[in-house]
Amino acid sequence: MAVLSDRDKEKVRKTFEERLKEPVSIQLFTQHESPLVLPGHECATCRETRELLEEVAGLSDKISLEVKDFLTDRQEAESMGIERIPAILLDGQVKGRVRFFGAPSGYEFSVLLQDILDASSGELGLSEDTLRKLSELQEDLHIQVFTTPT
Amino acid sequence: MASERITADAVEVSEYPELINKYNIRGVPKIVVNDRVEFEGALPEKQFVERVLSATRREDQQG
Repeated sequence: MAVLSDRDKEKVRKTFEERLKEPVSIQLFTQHESPLVLPGHECATCRETRELLEEVAGLSDKISLEVKDFLTDRQEAESMGIERIPAILLDGQVKGRVRFFGAPSGYEFSVLLQDILDASSGELGLSEDTLRKLSELQEDLHIQVFTTPT
Repeated sequence: MASERITADAVEVSEYPELINKYNIRGVPKIVVNDRVEFEGALPEKQFVERVLSATRREDQQG
């Protein structure tokens, strides 16, 4: 779904109002939308992702959205290890990096919302054992979760 | 979100079909850690953490 229904917008707005604590920033790496499309450089879901995130960000003052162009902001994208777009990066009360690649549709949208809430509160609901093990990490971990739209 | 050393990506593979081949994705969710450990399906937290941490070299040293 590219654009939220009024009912969904209201539900999300209410959830944000009740549960968002600290600010969350969202960075979107996308491509500049223009009438000219370079063959081989189309990003089929970039526009809908941007529209969706603009709607989400508009539902709370605590959410900010920064839209970056993958081509003109290439150096920044590379320094962050972004190779594919649309790329959504969340930041807030988090220690590591949380990223979404591809339009967050269907189930992934609720994952995105939950991640926004988690990033806002910093309360992760993980067990003490898990937190301890993670704090003892000696090397970097890159976890990729591959999904398909539902 | 719990550790500075972790980057967690959620990837919609339908948009990047080359990844389906690269990681031999036949079922979702498929989880790949440091391109070394992979598993499919959702796991309870404890098992998930164990599988993820098995990608670190420290786990290798412990045999």
